[in-house]
Amino acid sequence: MPTAGLVTPSLETVLSSIEAASSADAINVESNIQYLISLLKRRQVRNSRACAIATAHLLSLVVSKYQVTNITGLIERVQEVGQRLTSAQPKELAVGNIVRRVLGVIRDEAEEDREGEESLYSEVRDEDAQSATPEEKIQSSSPSTSNPLRHDTINSKDLPTNVQNTKDGQLVQPRSLVSSQSSIAAGTSQPLLKSMFNLLSHPASNASSPSATPGTQSPRASSSRPMGDLVDVSAAKDLRAEVVEAIDEIIEELNTADDQIAGYALDHIHSNEIVLTHTASVTVQKFLLRAAAKRKFTVIHAETFPNDHENVHATVTGSVKASSNNSGTDRFHKSLVAAGITVILIPDSAVFALMSRVNKVVLGTHAVLANGSLVAAAGSKSIAQAASMHKTPVIVLSAVYKLSPVYPFSVDTFIEFGDTTKIISNDETDLLHQAEVENPLYDYVPSQLIDLYITNLGGHAPSYLYRIVLDHYRPEDTEPPHQETT
Amino acid sequence: MPVAAIEALILLLSHSPTSTISETLSLLSHYTNILKASVANPIALSAGTDLFQRYLISTLQPPQPTNKPERKGSRARQGDGTDDFQAIRHHLISNGRLFVARAKEARSQIANIARNFIREDTTVLTYGSSRVVGAVLAAALKACTNFKLVYVCNSSTSSTELPSTIPKPSPDLPIAVIPPSAVAHAMSHISMVMLGAEGVVENGGIISGLGTYQIGVLAKAAGKPVYVCTESHKFVRMFPLSQEDVGGEVLRFSEGGAGERGSETKKDESQVDYTPPELITALITESGVHTPSAVSEELIKIWY
Repeated sequence: MPTAGLVTPSLETVLSSIEAASSADAINVESNIQYLISLLKRRQVRNSRACAIATAHLLSLVVSKYQVTNITGLIERVQEVGQRLTSAQPKELAVGNIVRRVLGVIRDEAEEDREGEESLYSEVRDEDAQSATPEEKIQSSSPSTSNPLRHDTINSKDLPTNVQNTKDGQLVQPRSLVSSQSSIAAGTSQPLLKSMFNLLSHPASNASSPSATPGTQSPRASSSRPMGDLVDVSAAKDLRAEVVEAIDEIIEELNTADDQIAGYALDHIHSNEIVLTHTASVTVQKFLLRAAAKRKFTVIHAETFPNDHENVHATVTGSVKASSNNSGTDRFHKSLVAAGITVILIPDSAVFALMSRVNKVVLGTHAVLANGSLVAAAGSKSIAQAASMHKTPVIVLSAVYKLSPVYPFSVDTFIEFGDTTKIISNDETDLLHQAEVENPLYDYVPSQLIDLYITNLGGHAPSYLYRIVLDHYRPEDTEPPHQETT
Repeated sequence: MPVAAIEALILLLSHSPTSTISETLSLLSHYTNILKASVANPIALSAGTDLFQRYLISTLQPPQPTNKPERKGSRARQGDGTDDFQAIRHHLISNGRLFVARAKEARSQIANIARNFIREDTTVLTYGSSRVVGAVLAAALKACTNFKLVYVCNSSTSSTELPSTIPKPSPDLPIAVIPPSAVAHAMSHISMVMLGAEGVVENGGIISGLGTYQIGVLAKAAGKPVYVCTESHKFVRMFPLSQEDVGGEVLRFSEGGAGERGSETKKDESQVDYTPPELITALITESGVHTPSAVSEELIKIWY
């Protein structure tokens, strides 16, 4: 637990308590989980990056402290923790994204381990080859097509060729391959089942129950047995260390995402351009600063009243605001003005009027959804619509951790409402008696209003995002919920 | 339709004695052509037959040549081939029913996902007699969501007849039936359009009953989302560039003469049109919700 003292709980306190716990024993894991859950509920850890970093560190702690005997157990543990975290704050999509990334990492590591072991088994089972039936021969040729919905083509494509090299068509191994593939990922038979093409070739492996998701169902233990059998305890311990290492890579990605995005700045910002932006987004500021090092351009900055205007003023004028929401590294970057760029601060109402003179719009976002649309700071939608009217390109800067595989069935579920006193103070009782005041913090911006996403992996069209989702998240973890709560 | 085609082909396989791969494949392609020729619009059919053919070709590969001496060298290569083949044939036939059952299961999975789009107090517009859409509506009804349905009837049939796939009107589900000419007028009252498809083409567009394109255009103009519910086995490798590519002659000009008129007015109910991907908001398949641009990904998975 953090040391007593008058420190406002925030990302720093979470991280320090997790660090303290990682050197201690396993009992502290639960208290750390509780601590993060309470901070999420109270919105003292807010914004995508802070939540993502906190979640990643916590999951790293959970994995390293978990007494692993098999992989399914680890997956279940992470799913359970993940579900608690996401239900603490369903509007912070970054939490769910990181949980799914970690689950994907665990499944990947498990598959790599299994692949290593299978090649050991193949020599052992040579003499059983004669009794193999053609049934298995079918199954041996179909593993190459049997993982249509999984994009770790490294594993799925390699396995059949590995198998084919050791023997000719008749193989016993495919049976275990197929069953292990079907039991991989706590019941991946749901994805196998989904390709109709597969239905004609995999009747047996499709019989298992639907797979588990972090958000909804509890995982099924029935399909876990074969996986548990195949993995040694010693392999499992290595797995844990590998998973922790992979989570560290995710944390590294989170920390360097802004700099990687800024690396693309010179491709998109040219001399004498007029760029429009809003909110005091650190990502956007770093992006523009990188361009400012080599080019001279003008920035029109909409002040984003009432939720962010103080931060915007501070950012534009260059005075550092001691806000607890910023992590330490964010505070010390130059302002654009200091870098020699002309910055024009405008009220939000002037956006449409000035849009005809703007060359491009650069926006940050809170979250990106699977269909390419955004949950961004309030005001983004009007800016994007004004830009689309004038055919001005809209560029959104967003690292991949903000990309959620969730499909927005209803846009209202993602909009968070904030403090109404920022609009009307509580003194104005006459008005408050007669009017309902709302202060939405986010806007839903549909994908057709956006022209380009710049992520830490490069620039992409909104229609391409489904591919990035497939590359980073496993389908077993991204299944849509069966029960939607409004 | 694709499921029926595959069922028919599997039945054919079980009744025709074949002993080699090429015999099977040529038999299959012969009957596939007969099937395609017998239907006015073979697109949905070809989805099923192409899938089946693709599956057969990939599983009936001749066995790999081996150079390992310790392999069972005494068994004749031909004997190997025939035994394997008979076993495959048997396996295929026994899978036929399973495939159909899975296809139906796909429908209920789609219903489970798609019903989340139907929220409280929404009005859904639908057209055609897709069983998938019927399942979605039934699932939403079962979840006690209060919504309304606007059904666009086909003007060639009786105007008040609801197809059997759509749930009956009830206090839980008020249904309005409108002719296609009223769709533009009704657009302002609806929240979304939900459609089925006979086929999904490579660029994410759909082939569906004549009139679907019209509804898509009107929905786009009114800013309403269009959701297409379809199983993944309806994905075809086609890339139409215009309505003409989808076949069927819609415009039949008459140049006078009473006798001609009589024969021209036969309304072909199996006419289809092509709805381009820009008009579609999302495709709901059993593997989740996809944007039209993700369809090519699914096709690659099936075909390569």
